[in-house]
Amino acid sequence: MGQSWKENHALYLIVVGALAWLVPGAGHYVLNEKTRAVVIFVALTLTFLVGVYVGSIGVIDPVNAKPWYVAQVMNSPLVMILGRIGATGHYPVYGRAGEVGQIYTSIAGLLNLLCIVNAIYTAHLHALEEARA
Amino acid sequence: MTISTMCVLGSFTTPMRIGTTPASMLWLLPLVVTIAVVYKATKVDKIRLWPFTRESAVLFGSILVFIGVAALVLYALAWVATGQLPSLLSGSTF
Repeated sequence: MGQSWKENHALYLIVVGALAWLVPGAGHYVLNEKTRAVVIFVALTLTFLVGVYVGSIGVIDPVNAKPWYVAQVMNSPLVMILGRIGATGHYPVYGRAGEVGQIYTSIAGLLNLLCIVNAIYTAHLHALEEARA
Repeated sequence: MTISTMCVLGSFTTPMRIGTTPASMLWLLPLVVTIAVVYKATKVDKIRLWPFTRESAVLFGSILVFIGVAALVLYALAWVATGQLPSLLSGSTF
């Protein structure tokens, strides 16, 4: 396997990882694992939306809740847009609802991180199998 | 933008009312379902409805049992630390 294969391989893995981060499940979708992609997309999007609904959009706060925000942004880079809205401080977050919202959105992000790693590893295995064939 | 769409978007701007009651712990259940489903989705070779549902249900139950055991252990520790230990120390001859 030459240098160009390794460069292309690294680029391929980066693209799969970036897609998996951009849209939950998209990494598996491009690997032709459509059922898995749909399961991941529905489960993570629903969990994230339930979290935002329960706690309000203010649970995504890059200023006052940075550790939570780091986990939330693993859902998708689009969460950064919501973060800019939440950071204005116009949306109240309090009580048990705020806790539930933060936990739901953050756990969804961490689960998507698991899916991103899994998609990259699966892409690596597929590429190795193709190279051997 | 229709009024109903604005109402839906508006509902994302204020928190729901959830009391600090034992019933609020039930919010744990949908999250555990998600964790079980997504984890199993990354682990199984092929996703087929019944085997996947069964495996996810087993993991869901396992997580709940573990949470229950952890809660009991923590409750016992808190009971000893706050109820038993102070009386033992106050009756000590040291």
